[in-house]
Amino acid sequence: MWIQTAFLVVWLDPLGLRLHTMCSPVFHCYACPLATFACPIGILAQFSALHVVPFIAIGLLVTVGILFGTLICGWVCPFGFLQDLFAKIPTPKFDLPRFTGYFRYVMLIGAVLLIPYFFGEGHPLFICRICPAGAVEAAVPDMVSEAVAGQQINWPNAVKIIILVLFIIAVFFVKRPWCRILCPLGAIFSLFNKFSAFFLRFNPDKCTDCKRCHKLCDYGIQPEKSPNDLQCIRCLECTKCGPDALNLASVFERSPGRAENGEKI
Amino acid sequence: MQNKTIRIAVISIFILLGVVLFSYGTFLHSAEIKAQVEGDTVTISKSERALVKDASVGGVVRDESGKIKQTYEKGEKPPETCST
Repeated sequence: MWIQTAFLVVWLDPLGLRLHTMCSPVFHCYACPLATFACPIGILAQFSALHVVPFIAIGLLVTVGILFGTLICGWVCPFGFLQDLFAKIPTPKFDLPRFTGYFRYVMLIGAVLLIPYFFGEGHPLFICRICPAGAVEAAVPDMVSEAVAGQQINWPNAVKIIILVLFIIAVFFVKRPWCRILCPLGAIFSLFNKFSAFFLRFNPDKCTDCKRCHKLCDYGIQPEKSPNDLQCIRCLECTKCGPDALNLASVFERSPGRAENGEKI
Repeated sequence: MQNKTIRIAVISIFILLGVVLFSYGTFLHSAEIKAQVEGDTVTISKSERALVKDASVGGVVRDESGKIKQTYEKGEKPPETCST
């Protein structure tokens, strides 16, 4: 929580730098009045609509992804943090079927790449037009400031309003609904999970098979079977299991023969 | 040990690839843009960094002919808010 809060200082532009010529590696709408950097997903989609290759965004996502994988989702992303804050409200939380995690790839390929490429940024399913981060971080503050200033309110389109309402309902009953079902940035980072420099290491010698990690994981993953699962956001809750069978490791650290003692990565 | 070496090699290749792409986009890549200058349409070259900033506020669009068009006149300020 403190690390996520500390990163807000980077994303929320306290110095008013507005460095929108660069992308950040997190999901944070560039139309937000407090955004320091451009959103990498927004840039991928906009460039797809322009038929230009976004080298800056791709280079950044490849570098950050191969180093950290979805550790960015669990510890750095401001939109994930916002959902974590909502999750602290004591309401009943429901689990989601595992297949819903694959919708993220549909979102990435459809709303971020193909729809912008073939239909342009005017299509109603263009990612920025349906993005709840844009609605929460940009459209709502804009509407509030217009209302306060006594100006005519510039309402977002109906699809965006419906998605915003659904998102607000969902955050009360599902932990990180956007990250789990639809986030295209999480989909990109998850592809690096299996071979990123930082990873979750499972040591079967220390595992007592107590299944506590199953209870600690809010995302329905069995960490001892798949410690670097595609749907893991690396919140590292499972590392609190007790016998220290799961921990965050780096490929650069010296460890005596990881493969030899049967550890799973 | 061999697995670890392969893994480090793969990671290093990806990091290198990412840094090369990022650097190319930041310092070298540019695109041809149609812009209005005092009523006339001219073609200007815009760096990817400038394009990122313009794209984030709806300052560039792709027109019917497939060319990228700047939505504001050269010398004017770009739009301040995202078009969506």
